[in-house]
Formats: sequence, structure tokens, C-alpha cells
Amino acid sequence: MVSRVYVEAEIRDHPRTRQLLKRLHKLPVVEIEHFGEVFNPRAQNFRLQKKDPAIIIAAKNKGHVLAAPEGYGLGGDKNYYFSHMLNCIYDCRYCFLQGMYQSAHQLLFVNYEDFGTQIKQVATRHQGQQVWFFSGYDCDSLANEPMTRFTDYFIPLIASIDNAWLELRTKSTQVRSMLKLQPVERVVTAFSFSDHFSHAKLEHGVPSIARRIDAMRRLIDAGWAVGLRFDPVVYHRHYQAAFVKLLEQIFDLIDAQKLHSVSLGSFRLTRDHFRKLTRLYPEEPLFAQNLDLNNGIISYPLEREREMIEFCETQLMKHIPRQSYHPCEWHG
Amino acid sequence: MLIWVCAMHCEAKPVIDFYRLKKSHDDNAFDLYRGDNMACIISGIGKLASAAASAWIAARHDDAASIVWINLGIAGAATDEPGEIFALNQVIDADTGQRYYPAPGADSRIPGRACLTLSQPSEDYHENYLFDMEASGFMHSTLRFSSAELTQSVKIVSDNQRYQSGKDRPRISALIHQHIEAIDQQATSLIALNQEIAALAIPAESWLQLTALAHFSQTQKNRLRVLWRYLIKRGLDSELLLQKLSACTSSKAIIETLEQISYQDSEGL
Repeated sequence: MVSRVYVEAEIRDHPRTRQLLKRLHKLPVVEIEHFGEVFNPRAQNFRLQKKDPAIIIAAKNKGHVLAAPEGYGLGGDKNYYFSHMLNCIYDCRYCFLQGMYQSAHQLLFVNYEDFGTQIKQVATRHQGQQVWFFSGYDCDSLANEPMTRFTDYFIPLIASIDNAWLELRTKSTQVRSMLKLQPVERVVTAFSFSDHFSHAKLEHGVPSIARRIDAMRRLIDAGWAVGLRFDPVVYHRHYQAAFVKLLEQIFDLIDAQKLHSVSLGSFRLTRDHFRKLTRLYPEEPLFAQNLDLNNGIISYPLEREREMIEFCETQLMKHIPRQSYHPCEWHG
Repeated sequence: MLIWVCAMHCEAKPVIDFYRLKKSHDDNAFDLYRGDNMACIISGIGKLASAAASAWIAARHDDAASIVWINLGIAGAATDEPGEIFALNQVIDADTGQRYYPAPGADSRIPGRACLTLSQPSEDYHENYLFDMEASGFMHSTLRFSSAELTQSVKIVSDNQRYQSGKDRPRISALIHQHIEAIDQQATSLIALNQEIAALAIPAESWLQLTALAHFSQTQKNRLRVLWRYLIKRGLDSELLLQKLSACTSSKAIIETLEQISYQDSEGL
């Protein structure tokens, strides 16, 4: 349950702010000078905050578009990411966003035009190259769509830049706004899935697998490019059977030939995030598993990871053409 | 542990009476009243006094797994009527401009309001703010010990542009007392949050028994804490675990044993 709204005084009259405040009119509103006053202080408890987060409406003033981390990409020439929102409405225990910020509040940036200007500048700088912009790195791209109307601005923007590609990454079913738009070939909506067991245990508040498959199918039927992301694959006693069942459920309804891309990666977190999460959720089995530290990254021991990835890849290749597969390369 | 911080005795009286707190005669730096997992400290007027009292009592409860705080008192307002109650959602120190954001829970029935903390009494009322003399000192101090979700400031309007209650202490107590149920509900919600956080701590007794089994380096203790906390929170019997570990001949063996149990348990997610 969202508890209150913080809004930066300077953008209180911004049209998107006004629209958001209209939608959130039942919540108390607290005016602030800068989002950092609320979002950054150390004396916050992420675990408690996640129960009743606030929404912070703010403007982002710098670093609108950033280079994507090494290994992040789908085969394009250049990879960038941008975040119109920080934090997620869902509460997935494996997600690095839990340890990323001091706060669990949902921070919404309303100055889309400044993001747009930088996206155009970056694309111009790499004229003649395929430039990917990933939007679901610090948030779920679509989960808050009824509020943010993110696609209304960014999809036409990307459509207008010849060498720009956009990945929306989501666990939501919020595709209604996209279904109202003309499909754009260079916009890929990537749906993340975990098997049923992991979904039930670890993905708190996330819509059911069936509902998400249905959202995928509706986008495909409307002519949109859609991707599948199995990242992270989490180890548990029944992961093999559960993964096979998940693939069957998806490919019973989705034509694999129509998928833009599929990627797969195992559970991993930076050491700092991992430490923070074990303190936040000491009772969480995911963090008590047999894990190793490798180059600052906590992940499964290499042998287990190799076994998991090999198994999942083999199963996946029974359904999809190899050229649409992009493994998550994070070992460097 | 819930700690009430009030500037004046008349502000604390409704809480002392409602929870039947007893005056502590062991403490003399500040007047202190104690009850079951609860204390109420009378800080004196002003933000420095409030900060000092909060720090003093926090230090006396450094063994508490988690502390929740309520600063309860009166405030001035421009137009709000005397007797209206607010849970502060923004506290601004008028001298420094420093802002704090206590976070009343989503279930709070008390409306939120911003408050300006002044060093001196003032009749220069501002429409959008309450005025008090303690909240910024209270927040400054308590946020060292607890998170913003566990720290609240509840104010009842005693003065406005048309009416000044001055030092009418029985009236101040009455203004606060009329809201004691809403205040109690606020306290109950905070206590529930506190229990959730406190439950994450390792029971001191079993930790002592565990660390007495062998000599552990600091790094080993860090690992041990993570493992022990996990297994206890998962409902494993600490007595049985300690019994099993007593057969281990070294700190390394103890950690390895706990790791194996932990790996097995966690495979089912």
C-alpha cells in the first residue's frame, strides 16, 4: 500500500506531476526541495519501507542516459540504459534493487523531455550503428504504466530515431497502453519469468505466470516484438522439472518463431548487495544457499552454475531457434 | 522498546496515566517513567534538551534489539484549532534549515503536517506549518539509533493566532488526553514494526553459548552470525543445534557443519 507522496516543489506544476497528483489525490502530499532528502538518508529501513512505500515525484537533472554494464546487451553495437523510475512495485527477493538504494520508495522522474534530448544525442553520436536503450534496469518498465504513461512518450521518440532500439523489461501485465499504439519494430518488450516454484517463493506481488504469458500473447498478436528473459534462474531441488514445466506453459501459447530474443542467466549479486540483503532478510533461503564469491560477484559455485545453465539451455533449444538466444555473459 | 519523549510533564501525563508508567528513582539526569517494554522521558523544553534526552535514554537501552520513538507534545499553528492532532511528516529546523522526514505508517489515522522547530517562542505564524521547539532535536538524535519508519512525532495544537494557552498545564494535558486512543493506535502500529525488526536479532543467550564452543576470529564470527540467524529464524531448535555442534573440534568444523545444514535447508527455498 502506498503511504504518501513526496513532490519536488520545483516541478509541482509540471503537467505530468499534476496528472500524477490527480491520480494520487487520496494520499497525503509532502513538498520537498530535492528527492535526495527523502531517498538518500541512511536512517531508512528498506524492509519496513517496502510494506508501505511512498511515491516521490521528481526531476532528474543529470546522467539521464548511461552506458550499460559490460555484458548487458542483445547483440547491438552500443548499449545504454535509462531510468524514468527508481525502484520497483514488486518485491522479488533475488533482485539487486533491494540493495541498490537506501530507500524502497518509488522515485518517478517526470522530465521525460530531458531523457529524450539525451537519447537523441547519444543516437546521433553513434550514427550508422545500432544503439540499444534499455529501460528496465532500475525499475520495471511497465509496472507503473497507468501512472507514468512512459510508453506514450518514449515509444514515439524511439520510432523517430532511425538507429535507436528500445528494450522494455517487465514482469507486469500492463500492456494496454502499448496496444493502443502502432507497433514499432525497434521496440522489444522483454518479459521476465522464473519457474512456478521460484515465483511462489521469491516474486512477491508479481502477477501470475499465466497472466503474463497472456499479456505477451496479446502484444505479439498486435504485431509488437517480444522477448523472453529467464534471468535469474534460481537453484532449488526441483529446478529442472520446474523449468521444463515453465517452458511448456509458455510455448503452448507463444509461437517461438515470433520471439525477438531470449536470454538466460543464473542468480548473481555483487558482494556488497548480497551483504546488504542478508542483513535485510536473514531468514531468506535464497541467501543461505551454497554460493561462491567470484571477482566480487556472489553466485553459485561454477560447477553448479554450469550444470544449471547447460540444462536450461538444452531445454530452451527444444523450443527456440538458436539465433534468438543471448546468454547473459557476466563472468567477463 | 517504545520510548516517549515529551518536553514537559503535562505533555507526558496522559501517556503516563494511560500506560500506568511508574517513575524511575534510579535515574536522575532526566525524569523517567517506565512500564512494560516502554519508557517516557521528560526532556525539558527546546531542541537541545530533546536531543540530549533521546541520546541519553538510547544509550541506556543499547542492549535493546530495536527502539521505536514517539515525540509527543504541543505545537502552535496559524489557523488549526486548539486540540487538533497531527503526525509530523516533515520537520524543519528553523535555525539550520535541516529537514527530517518521519514516516507515519499508511494505517495512521492521524493527519500529517509539516512542523518548523524554533529556538525561541514566536507568534509569527505561517499557514503551512506547525511550530514547536523540540521536533528537530528529537529527530536529529533518534535517527542515529532508529530508522525514520520507527521514529514519529505527534503534535497537538495548543495555540493559534487567536488563542494562546500559555502555561495552562492541566489544559495541555487535557488537549492531549482527548486523543489518547489515536495516540495509542499509533504506538501499537509502531510496536508491531519494532517487533518485526527485533525478531531479526539473534537471541543473546544462544549466541553466547555458540561462541563459547570455540575461539572464532572476527571474520568467522561474521559468518557464524549469518548462519546462526538463518537457522534460528527458520525454526531450527537452538538446543539441538548446539548439541550437534558440541561434537565439533574446531571453529572451522562448527562453521562447516552449520553451512551444510543451511545448504540442505535452503535447497527447498
